[in-house]
Order: sequence, then structure tokens, then C-alpha cells
Amino acid sequence: MNPIELPDASEAPARRGLKLWLSRLEGPQTMGRGPAFWAVVVLAVLAALSYPAFANDYVVGNAAYFFVWTFMAMGLGVVWGYCGALSFGQTAFFGLAGYAYGVITINIGSAFGATWLALLLAVALGGVFALLIGYFMFYGRIKGVFVGIVTLSVTLVLETFMAQTAGPQWRIGDARLNGFNGMSGMPPLTVPWPGGDIMLYSGTALYYVLLGMVVLCYLGLRMLLNAPFGNVLVAIRENPERAEMLGYDIRLYQMLAFGLGGALAGLSGALYTAWGQYITPSSMGLTAAALPIVWVAVGGRRDITATLLGCLLVIAGFQSLTIYGSQYALVVMGALLVFTVLVTPDGLVFTAINRMGRLFKRVRR
Amino acid sequence: MEFFPASFSIFYQFGNAFAFLVISCAGLAVIFGMMGIINLAHGEFIMCGAYVTASTARAGLPLPLAIACGALTAALVGMVLERTVIRHLYHRPLDSIIATWGISLIATQAVLILLGPSMSGTGTPLGSTLVGERSYSIYRLVLFASAVGLLGGLYLLFYRTRFGVIARATIQRPEMARALGVDTRRVYGLTFGLGAGLAGLAGGLYAPTMTMVPTMGATFIVESFVTVVVGGADIFLGAAPAAAILAVIKAALTAWYGQLFGQIGLLVAVIVVIRVMPGGLSAFIKRWQR
Amino acid sequence: MTRILDVAKLNKSFGGVTVARDIDFVLEAGAMHCLIGPNGAGKSSFFRLLLGEHAPDSGTIGFAGDDITALRSFQRIRKGISVKFQVPGIFKALSVRQNLEIAFQYHLHGASLGETVRRVLEFTNLTGEIHTPAGVLSHGQQQWLEIGMAVGVEPKLLLLDEPTAGMSPDETRKTGEMLHELNARGITILAVEHDMAFVQQIARSVTVLHMGAIFAEGDIDEITAHPGVQEIYLGAADE
Repeated sequence: MNPIELPDASEAPARRGLKLWLSRLEGPQTMGRGPAFWAVVVLAVLAALSYPAFANDYVVGNAAYFFVWTFMAMGLGVVWGYCGALSFGQTAFFGLAGYAYGVITINIGSAFGATWLALLLAVALGGVFALLIGYFMFYGRIKGVFVGIVTLSVTLVLETFMAQTAGPQWRIGDARLNGFNGMSGMPPLTVPWPGGDIMLYSGTALYYVLLGMVVLCYLGLRMLLNAPFGNVLVAIRENPERAEMLGYDIRLYQMLAFGLGGALAGLSGALYTAWGQYITPSSMGLTAAALPIVWVAVGGRRDITATLLGCLLVIAGFQSLTIYGSQYALVVMGALLVFTVLVTPDGLVFTAINRMGRLFKRVRR
Repeated sequence: MEFFPASFSIFYQFGNAFAFLVISCAGLAVIFGMMGIINLAHGEFIMCGAYVTASTARAGLPLPLAIACGALTAALVGMVLERTVIRHLYHRPLDSIIATWGISLIATQAVLILLGPSMSGTGTPLGSTLVGERSYSIYRLVLFASAVGLLGGLYLLFYRTRFGVIARATIQRPEMARALGVDTRRVYGLTFGLGAGLAGLAGGLYAPTMTMVPTMGATFIVESFVTVVVGGADIFLGAAPAAAILAVIKAALTAWYGQLFGQIGLLVAVIVVIRVMPGGLSAFIKRWQR
Repeated sequence: MTRILDVAKLNKSFGGVTVARDIDFVLEAGAMHCLIGPNGAGKSSFFRLLLGEHAPDSGTIGFAGDDITALRSFQRIRKGISVKFQVPGIFKALSVRQNLEIAFQYHLHGASLGETVRRVLEFTNLTGEIHTPAGVLSHGQQQWLEIGMAVGVEPKLLLLDEPTAGMSPDETRKTGEMLHELNARGITILAVEHDMAFVQQIARSVTVLHMGAIFAEGDIDEITAHPGVQEIYLGAADE
């Protein structure tokens, strides 16, 4: 048996900086590698880019609506799928950031790119609040189903609290919170432009902006999850005691992952408010809280690509079913959940992609 | 004497809140507390009991019998559900949350489709009585008595009957129970059915006081969950005292700040308890007893 | 010689049961030491106290000159302790390579990380299994993987809890050789063990625990000949 030696410090480092991060686009934590995979990704993005040429502005704006939710889904994928903590309360950060966007933009207006500042601050608020909740939970050794219960309680507290803010005394600056009816009248995302600011109402322009954000977020998460940070998250999910005994402060990593998930949920919330100029307490209620769980469970939580695809498919499917009546759509959602748990617990989309992958590849790398 | 009407009022408010928490959480306490299954369809078993009770009562059955029908129907549905879905999820608590939430969705929407957005209920029986200057619903007092009776009945069931002893043994030490010849699958099925039946009973008891809508389960589920989590695994050392304490918190907050703050108080209580007393009240009391 | 471990007056009780009774324990650097004793003697509890899974009721634990009594588990590990548990503490759903990377990555990066992974694979005879999910490996291979994870970053002290549990005699012998190899590289070894043959293969000195307290200490031959030790193993007046 050969002795172990620590290698010479004079060995040249293999890659650093941008090249290192680009190499992390592929890795053990994410499905899909090689030119065939990336060709498919590029094709998908090209198809998405050309979609507005084939559809009217309203339909494209609707597709933009789908994109809004993907960040929350991906965030939950990181927290639940990669870190192992089932958070039932992502909607808390969604709602908080949504209201924050509304409050800030109603007060400071939309000129000179203020809406983008508001977006940034709202996301930061969501992230910071998530770090606080994460600290409370993970440094308090709360785990398993109790993470779900605590996070669900947090979002319900926020919903209940916001629902009773109906009176005129409930205001922040010029922004009235408005209780059950929700806050409206905030400006959409606005791009400052000489000759007239571009207001990104639901439509083609907003679609392109959101598409860009989704792609960036997806690629960024791939890189983060294949980096050492992602390795530790997965280790914590698989065997938290062992991860601690390898020298990792697992509470810190769980808290950070939870903060990231909260920031992403906040991004969805702020974008939702910007898309529709409207936010209500019910976005933090019981039904709303369970929706991200549906997308991520059905899509597949163990892989960020499956989560993203699953989210888009389920939301699109749900919307097309509501034509027949939202009751039938919800029955199908419920049945999907039960089916997924019993038959494909790793997620419908994830299992499907795996099966297809095995069909096409005879030899495992 | 001014004292009696005032204290009766306080007793009534407390008893009202306490009864609601005990009756609505009993089924969940059996299923979550004893079996460790998070049953998010709990509210829908309550709805099932309420709907069956209301329809049979309107069809002419006397109310107590109608309530029994409601409870029984819910119990049967529960046992079917256990056999088909729940059975596979005993070692996967997080998945049981998702699966039961799916079932809850299917149930509420199916009832919405089949029976419409609301159904005529029955009125609250027994009328009201005057104490001091306020009138109080007699039926609510009956509910309080029922809650106490329910606790007594469950105690007898779990500590004085053969089924109860076997059920507790199976749940605490399934391998031992199996080694002693107990059909554990049947015990799990019956226990889950009991939990569902208790939920149906809650629905039946409260049916005369509520409007029949498919989403009526939502009224119960948050508070029953809070009570069960704060209480911990044991119904008698946990859920019952938890219901008492939470009833005080809720009644006080509601009286001073309104119903929404009563709810917030309960939610904050569960967050604090999970952080400070992870096993709930029952774990705390048991440790204190040693 | 420096003291790697310096435990003074360690006490711990759970409910009514005392698992550690005034334990004074010193381990010199470079030792190969075993902790033995009948079931219920408190070996696992002592192990967990060293690691920080439980906090002692009183007493101190010193490691390489630092007082680690108040430190959390991960902080103690970072100071240079590695641990291998009885039940293989590996990440079963992850590949062998990922397991090793996770074990080493907070110390090493990039090329040096890859190199260390490669060398540990050779050391543990797992080069061919680099992509295999760790849960698929044989029990013995899983144990070696865990040892590899524990030593890749050259700890000062390696703690092992029944490292040969469930192993065939051949695997047991190979494990003993592996541990000698590691000790020759400067790693102090402290193992809790039941298998007396293995203890004789690897240990130069031994501590016997009984009912939470140190019963006897000395070199391996003295202890095996000690009549009191034989008695407590045969379960004479225990309870």
C-alpha cells in the first residue's frame, strides 16, 4: 500500500477564476453534461427567444408570468432537494419581498431606475429575513417535519397579520397596506430611457427580461451547486452527523442555503408584484404555500434542471386545466401529488429524464 | 351578584375555545401523536363528518345518530385511505405531508364539483340561555361537556381496553408486538381509522354551528396542528393540557385584539414551543415526572 | 513526548446512569492505543464526550495543548481529530470520489485536492470504484473508504469506534496493517474495540473501562494477563 503524501505546494493550480466557475456548470450535483446536453439547452433558449414572434403580446405576457415563479421553485429545490429541509413557508419571503417592492416603488416612484433598486432591496429583504428564520431554526437544532411546521407557521402569521391591515393607519409612507384587499398601484419594472421610460408591463419586453433572468439564475445555481458549497449541502442532506464530524458547521450551511432560497422566493415575489402591479396576503396563505411544494415534488427536487422544467410544466398544465374550471385543475394537482409520492418519489420529470437518458446511452460514463 | 355572570362569561369563552381545540385535534393527536403521520387531510375528514351529519340530520335522523353516522363514515374512508396510500409512507414522514395534502386537494375540489359551493346545514339546536345580561348558546356548553367526555372516553379506550393496550404497544414497539403475534398492519389500519373517525366526530359535532362549504376543514386544521405539536405525542399528558393553555391564549388575545390576533398568538406559540420544547408539553411533563 | 489527549476528571451522567466517573486519561502523541471493556462500560460514551457530541458534567479535555472542552464537534475536528464510526459514516448516495472530496475540500483545493483523492484511492484499494455510489460497496470497502476520508487530511489523532465490526478475518487483518501504516506516518491512533485479536494486532497499550471508570491501564500483555480484567469480561459482579 502506498503511503499518503500531501502534494507539493509548488504544483500549479489547475484552473482559477472564470474558467473554474465555468467548469462547474457540470458536476455531480446536476443532471446533464456533454455537448449533446448543452446543445439541447441552447436550442431551448433559442426557441424561447423566438416564441414572441409566433404569439401575441398577451400570450407572451402570460409566459412571462410562468417565468416569475421559477425562482421560488429553484430556491425551494436548493433548500429541500439539495439541503434536505422541507420548507413549507417560502411564500413568506415571496410575500414580504412583494410588499417591499410595492412599498418602496409607491414611495419613491419609478424614475431613474428606482424600480430596479426596489427589486434589489426587496430581494435582499427576503434573503435577510430568511437568514434570520434559518438562524432561529438551524442553530436551534430544529429539523425534519418541524422545519416544515415552523416555516408554515411563519408564513401564516404574515398572512394573518397582513390581512388585518385594512385601516388607513396601516401605511408605510405613501403606501397603504390595505388588508385583505392587498396593495396595488405600484409601477412595473421601468427601464430609464431618453425620450420616455420603458414600462415593463406584462408583455414581450418583460418576457425577454425575465427569460434572461431565468437563464442566468439557472446557470448560476448549476455553478454554485457543483462547487464545494453544493457538495457540503448534499453531504448535510445525506448524513448530517457525518458532515459535522468532517469539520463542517452544518448549521451555518443550512442557514446560508435557506437564505439563498428565501432570496430567490423574494425575487419571485417582487417580480410577481412588478408583473401584475398587485400583491395580496393570500399569496402567503395555506394554498399558496403548498404550490411550490407541488411544482418541486412533481418536477423533482434532487436536480435543479428537473425542478425548473417541472415548475414550468406544472404551472402551464395547471393554467390550461383551469379553462375547464379551477376545481378540476386542482383535483388533477392533488392526484399528481399523490401519484408522484407513491410512484415516482424523485419527481415525475426527474424520473422521466433519467429513463430517457438511460434509453439513449448504453454506456455509463 | 355581579361575580357569577362575569366569571361565567370567562368560563364560557375558555370552554368554547378549549372544546374546539380538543375536539378538533383528537383525531390528529392519534394519527400524528401516536403514528407520526402528518395528516394534512385531517380537515377533509372533518368536512366528511360534517357533510354526512348535516345530510342525515336533514333527512330526519336525530342529531346524535347523525353525528355517529358522520364519524363512522369518516372512519371507514380513513381505513380505505390507510390501506391504499398511507400504508406506504410510514417511514417517509415528509412524503406523508405531501401525499395527504394531495388527498386534501382532491377531496375539497371533488366535493366542490359534486355538491357545489355550499350545502344547507342544520341549525344549532337547544337554543340559548340567559346568564346575567348575556345569552349563551346551550349547544356550545354541550360541546364543552362533549370535549371532556371525549377525553374520558379516549382514556378508557387506550388504557382500559385490549385494543388500546395493543395499539399503544404496537406503536411504541412494532417489532415486539409482531413478535408477540399482533397483526400490526391491522392495528395501524384501525388506529388510522380511529383518528379519521374522531375527525369526523369533530365535523359532526360542529356541523350545526357552521355553514357547509367544501373548504370548511381549513377552519380546523391550523389550530388542531398547533395543539398537537404543542402537546406532543401523548394525548392526555400533551394535547389536553396544550388545548387548555392555548385556549387561554387564544381567548385572551381574541378578546383584546380580535380574532386574527388570536390566530397569530397560536402560531407564535407553536414556533416558540418547537424551539424550546421540541417534544412538546408531554415530553416536558414526562421528564418532570421522573 | 507531547500529550495528544489530556482528559482530567471527566464526569457524565444521564438520568440516573453514570457513564463517566472521574476519568483521567492521557494519550501520548504517536501512540497506538485501544479502549476496551465489557458492554456498558462506557466506551462509546467516552468516545462521544471526546468528540463533543455530549458535554461533560465536569472535567476537562485537552487536545495537543488546547482546551477543547467547550468546543463544538466540528471545531474539534478542525483542530486535527478525525473519527471513524462503527456504522460506516459515509454518504451512501454519493460516489466514492465525492465522499473523499467532501472529506478533504475544506483543507485542499483544485489540483492538490485531486491528487490527495487519487492517493487515498490507491491506499484504500478503491481506485476502480471511483464513481461507484458508496452504498453499493461491500461492508469492508465502506469501512476503508471511511478510514480514507478520515486520514486524507493527515489528522493528528484518529479515533475509531469498533473499526472491524462486521469484517471478515482477512479484512480485519488488512485494516490492522492500514492502521500501522498510518501510525508510522505520525498519526496517533485511539480505537474502541471488542475484538481482542485485533487489539493484540494493533495496540501497544490498552485502557480497560468498567462501569464508567478506568479499571486498568498498561501495555497489552500486562492487561491480557490481568485476572481482574478477565473477571469483568466474564461478567462477574456487574450490575
